[in-house]
Amino acid sequence: MRENFYILQDGILKRKENTVYFENKEGRKILPINKISSIFAYGNLSFSSGVVSYLSKEGIPIHFFNYYGFYEGSMYPRETLISGDLVIRQAEYYLDPEKRLCLAGKFIEGACGNILKNLKYYARNREDIQEIIENYVTSIKTELSRLIDAETVPSMMRTEGKIRELYYNALDEIFPEEYRIIKRTRRPPNNKMNTLISFGNSLVYSTTLSEIYNTQLNPTISYLHEPFERRFSLSLDVSEIFKPILIDRIIFKLVNKNMLDDGCFRGEIGNMLLSDKGKKIFLKEYDEKLKTTIKHKGLNKSVSYKRLIRLELYKLSKHVLGAENYKPLVMWW
Amino acid sequence: MYVVIVYDVGVERVNKVRSFLREYMNWVQNSVFEGELTKAEFLKVKSRLKELIEINHDHIIFYSSRDKKYLGIENLGTPKADTNNII
Repeated sequence: MRENFYILQDGILKRKENTVYFENKEGRKILPINKISSIFAYGNLSFSSGVVSYLSKEGIPIHFFNYYGFYEGSMYPRETLISGDLVIRQAEYYLDPEKRLCLAGKFIEGACGNILKNLKYYARNREDIQEIIENYVTSIKTELSRLIDAETVPSMMRTEGKIRELYYNALDEIFPEEYRIIKRTRRPPNNKMNTLISFGNSLVYSTTLSEIYNTQLNPTISYLHEPFERRFSLSLDVSEIFKPILIDRIIFKLVNKNMLDDGCFRGEIGNMLLSDKGKKIFLKEYDEKLKTTIKHKGLNKSVSYKRLIRLELYKLSKHVLGAENYKPLVMWW
Repeated sequence: MYVVIVYDVGVERVNKVRSFLREYMNWVQNSVFEGELTKAEFLKVKSRLKELIEINHDHIIFYSSRDKKYLGIENLGTPKADTNNII
């Protein structure tokens, strides 16, 4: 299986002996070209043009994150899986308000399903807060039932916003005081939990983009998010489903097992970021999560979480091609 | 599957073998590579190595296991390279 490589150090990436070398003062590291799925660059990386063309040729995207750990952009290799038919169908589903609304709703439905699963899972063994969580679950369900009445995508997004807010409020009940969200803030995140969520979400976003690259879907045509943003917005759509599955679960683990200390964060309240140590711990968990396998009911074999993202995209292409109706992934385990 | 490749080849071919194997696996020691390969990759590696070496002269051993966890790997001393994917 191909792996993601996460580079936190500063250094040079170059092509040598038909593979990729990472070099800096501390030494060098050889990345076997056939084992790279994508590269996540957090440090200051220099590239030779040789390595860029080689990675493009091999279809390996590089995702860049800045000093603060925020997503900056990707080197998206030349598309090799092209299907004009699919792109036209994708656009058709965007242009037809009814079809678009239906798909947009599916993403929220999937995200919500997973959110509810998470809440139930973490409230199961906590008798002290069970009742409060139950209340949140009911209000989230009520919001979700309003989704059918939504007539425009923006109103759908508002519902989604409300659900997320309820979800974060519910999480505040579960987490220790130090890790309360209180209010979701971005750029910069203002406390520990917001920092973790932001960092994680950008990872899911990039991973999904890498997976889109390996399908014939066009990453710029999206349904829930507007495609006019500068980002590959289809990846934002699909990420919604996987954020609760991957990131929230990782954060639960990190917090519950006390794997983070003050040295994992830098900056102060109001402007807080992950330190190198924190990033390393998070990335290690993330990488392990992607490799974790579960038994897939429909396929009757073990698939990794990373593979699940790809399967989700295949389902989406089937939907726009009219072969099979899209049903978002909701954790069954 | 997880494969360990140990090779003993003539000095004029040793570089060729090493640089080829680097494209697929981690170089853990002089003349030793380790890594996860798919069945297809394994076949590809074997057939390419067959072209590179002198069959009557050189010798390569492939140790393979279904999963890394079934190999009891122990270390003593300073490893040549770390195989971590978080750098």
